[in-house]
Amino acid sequence: MTLRHVALIARKELRGLARERTIVFAVLLQLFIAMFSSFLMVGLATLYDPDAVAGFSSTRYAVGYAGSDSALRELLEAGRDFRVYPMDLSTAVAALKERTLNAVIWVPATPPDAAEPVTITLYTVQNDIQASVVTVKIKGVLVDYEQELRAVRADRLTEQPVAVAVPASAGGENFYEFVFGLLIPLLVFMPAIISAALIIDLICEEYQHGTLETLMATPVTFGAMLWGKVAACLALVPVQAGAWLLLLAANGIAVENAVPILLHVTAGSLALILIGALCALHYRERTAAQFIFSTGIVVVVLVVLALPANPLNLIVLLAIGAIGAEHWLILAATAGGAALLACLTGRYADRVGGMRRDRILQEQR
Amino acid sequence: MHEAISAVLTISRWEVKRSLTTMGRNVLPVAALLFILLILATGFAQQQGVHLQDGMYAMATDSPDLAAVIAEDPRFRVTLVDANTIPPGGAFDLAVIGGRITVAKTDRAQAALAAFTRDYARYETWVYTRQDDLFAAYPLWIDEIPVKSELDFLATQQGQTVGALPRRGAPPVPEGTVEIVATPSASLSLSPDDLRGELAAGAAEDPQVSRYAGVLAADHSDLAFKTPSQLSPPLPFDSIILIFVFIFPLYFTSQFFMMSIMNERVDRKGEVLLTTPARPWQIIAGKALPYLALMVAVSLLLTLANGASMTIMLPLLPVILFFLAFALFIGMVSRSFKELSFLSIFFSTVATSYLFFPSIFANVHVISLISPLTLIVLQVQGEAVGAMEYFYATSLFWLTSAVLFALCTANFTEERLFTSTRLLSTVRAFVGSALSLRRPHLSVFLAAACTIPFVFMAQLMLLVVLFNLPMPLSLVTLLLGAACVEECAKAVPLYALARKAPGMLTWPRLATLGAAIALGFLAGEKALLFATLAQISESVFGAVLFTSLQALWFPLSLHFIGVFITGSAVMAGGRRALLPGILAASLVHSLYNLGIILGWAA
Repeated sequence: MTLRHVALIARKELRGLARERTIVFAVLLQLFIAMFSSFLMVGLATLYDPDAVAGFSSTRYAVGYAGSDSALRELLEAGRDFRVYPMDLSTAVAALKERTLNAVIWVPATPPDAAEPVTITLYTVQNDIQASVVTVKIKGVLVDYEQELRAVRADRLTEQPVAVAVPASAGGENFYEFVFGLLIPLLVFMPAIISAALIIDLICEEYQHGTLETLMATPVTFGAMLWGKVAACLALVPVQAGAWLLLLAANGIAVENAVPILLHVTAGSLALILIGALCALHYRERTAAQFIFSTGIVVVVLVVLALPANPLNLIVLLAIGAIGAEHWLILAATAGGAALLACLTGRYADRVGGMRRDRILQEQR
Repeated sequence: MHEAISAVLTISRWEVKRSLTTMGRNVLPVAALLFILLILATGFAQQQGVHLQDGMYAMATDSPDLAAVIAEDPRFRVTLVDANTIPPGGAFDLAVIGGRITVAKTDRAQAALAAFTRDYARYETWVYTRQDDLFAAYPLWIDEIPVKSELDFLATQQGQTVGALPRRGAPPVPEGTVEIVATPSASLSLSPDDLRGELAAGAAEDPQVSRYAGVLAADHSDLAFKTPSQLSPPLPFDSIILIFVFIFPLYFTSQFFMMSIMNERVDRKGEVLLTTPARPWQIIAGKALPYLALMVAVSLLLTLANGASMTIMLPLLPVILFFLAFALFIGMVSRSFKELSFLSIFFSTVATSYLFFPSIFANVHVISLISPLTLIVLQVQGEAVGAMEYFYATSLFWLTSAVLFALCTANFTEERLFTSTRLLSTVRAFVGSALSLRRPHLSVFLAAACTIPFVFMAQLMLLVVLFNLPMPLSLVTLLLGAACVEECAKAVPLYALARKAPGMLTWPRLATLGAAIALGFLAGEKALLFATLAQISESVFGAVLFTSLQALWFPLSLHFIGVFITGSAVMAGGRRALLPGILAASLVHSLYNLGIILGWAA
């Protein structure tokens, strides 16, 4: 087995991918998901944090106020979000249906220090994004009002939580945690899964299309064939993962430690690719190999995610810059594990390849 | 008929037998082992929690009580510091000293603050729900009443204020009749114990666990009254769970079907099947039947296991057929295993997005109804789903599956199965063999009409993706995208015919064929219009997508001009000119649509 043969096979496989334009689908997929993440960002951010989209904050929402006078009305009028109209309840609800109001609040005459709770009624438009935005805004005012009422009734409480003055400007970060804590680890590990599935296809194709015999008739050995394919699949990983990071950067999401992240992903995907190769060498038939591999991967990912300080967690910490130099140790450990797997795969390939050669020799005799 | 069915059943039996023997001895024991491991791993993950976001934020505090509370959240690394020392800048995202929060000026610190706020709120709830006097701890309760408005989607794009904002001071006066609304009751109709139980349950829930488990079966708080902090649109984590619970097994099973089709094509193995007296549709039906049965069985099992209503099978069935149809198609067009893999990954991502993203808005917006999964979410939440909603959400799935099955049946021949060409040429050849050369006009008419469900799906997908962009941008991109999709769809039958019978396309023929395609396209659009929600088709976005549906004469000529431009390009420049032709046609189409919207035509 020479390095030249390995490189030859790797080039052949990469050329095949380019010729079939299958890689186009991988690129399309990336773009598609990037588009959707921007959809998620804007869409969900508007839903759960109205101020995230400029323009909302300058709008004043019209609120109909019915029932008894209360401190709530002052709170609503104090902020800059609402225009409050004292109205008759029926008229207000009719106006809400015509959308000249955004919400209607009805407040009972219950005094603040009464034994029973203050029960207010809130009317909003059904099935509507704007209504959700208004509800989120009104919620803020209601929480303030609840605190006021709670302060009035404080002497009736037996225990108070540790007092912390939480600043009001907490919003819009759902998004940070979603992007860095979920999207990025998912996106950079997707190429690893794709490459592992790819190696199964490449190996099974040789078996199922009967092209292996032809290939073995050339000076290329079984081992060179295997490692060439592994190299081709592995080469795709940092390219794809790097493309992700660039796309994210283009979307204004600055990911820290890009190079270490790529190294970690490459080392991790080598392990996955080798597991895929083992499955393919064992079953030599795509359906079975892919089935066993994908089920196995689900198990592995579940277990890995349940362990503290797992590689995906590491990617998150690297991306937000919350980890020091200790990640190099983990990288060394992952690389060591992958190397061990590589030895195992090499041994297995020798056995499989050897058996094949013996059989061919026997047939020739 | 009886014979036909018995042929289908025979092929099904073969299929089951064959997959059991190939999977047989080697695979099944390992699969069983992996299945057991999967259950164990799920249990392990549920018990341990998901450690994806561990240690993201660093917090310093001088309060041991607070440190203990926040340390329960694995996202935080909590350091207890002395009250008098000021924590070094940059080392911590948050510092809570003497009840005051200092936040670093980074995005991460802002995220940490949000996480802290939520943890703190949960902790507060935990303290308050233990109070004897519940109404001192929770003095304010809200009864939220949704009001139906007739102007739903029409004017709410991008949160623009709808209707005229009332003038300062003067309250708005409704134009219509005022119905008397009963004065709400001033007291709670529920006992404090019920409320306390509900609050405690909400507080005890580990957010991570409630995100990933048990959401489907758990009955949501049905109490009419909420505290202010409970008042926000419910996050539809249900739909995320639903995706994994229901769609994943479907995707998995469809892979087997895809592979079974592909295997028939490797080394011409399927020749045996083709030589039997069974007709192509019988072969396809026979091969698909075991997988269909498996998918239905798995879905039924999952429904039962989750304690959901059996009616959720109704919206699931078209989704199952949709997956099978695409599996058949992909299995028939792929040249190699790797192409099969990429195509199936691509398809499943797009399909999952189509199913999943609209359903995020299940509780919020009508647009969610374009996904059948929304119906499932609604049914699980205990809301009634009417026949109209079912029709809106599923009709495109039924139709696209039917068209694909028909197309694949027409191409289930030796010639198509055992030759492999580039993907686009294969698709062209597929459409080509569905066209008849003796009745070219009728066949392009029908083919154009058959592209409509796909066009609508692509356009609705565009709508879902784009309607959240800022207003002028979303409209313009949608305009271009929609026109491009339509022109591509119309080019398909024409180009397929041109390549099938190269001598066929003369200039007079181009005119008549173009007219037939335009007519077919228009007829399909008209026929399918009822399948789209009135709220969508009447909005500004709908105007962009479906402008051509207003009068008859204008859209007909527009469609004709589009096809004619593409066709002339192909006639003049051959196949290389196809793409520029489509682009030119799309441009003309977009300009026309823009004209309609800006009122040029009027």
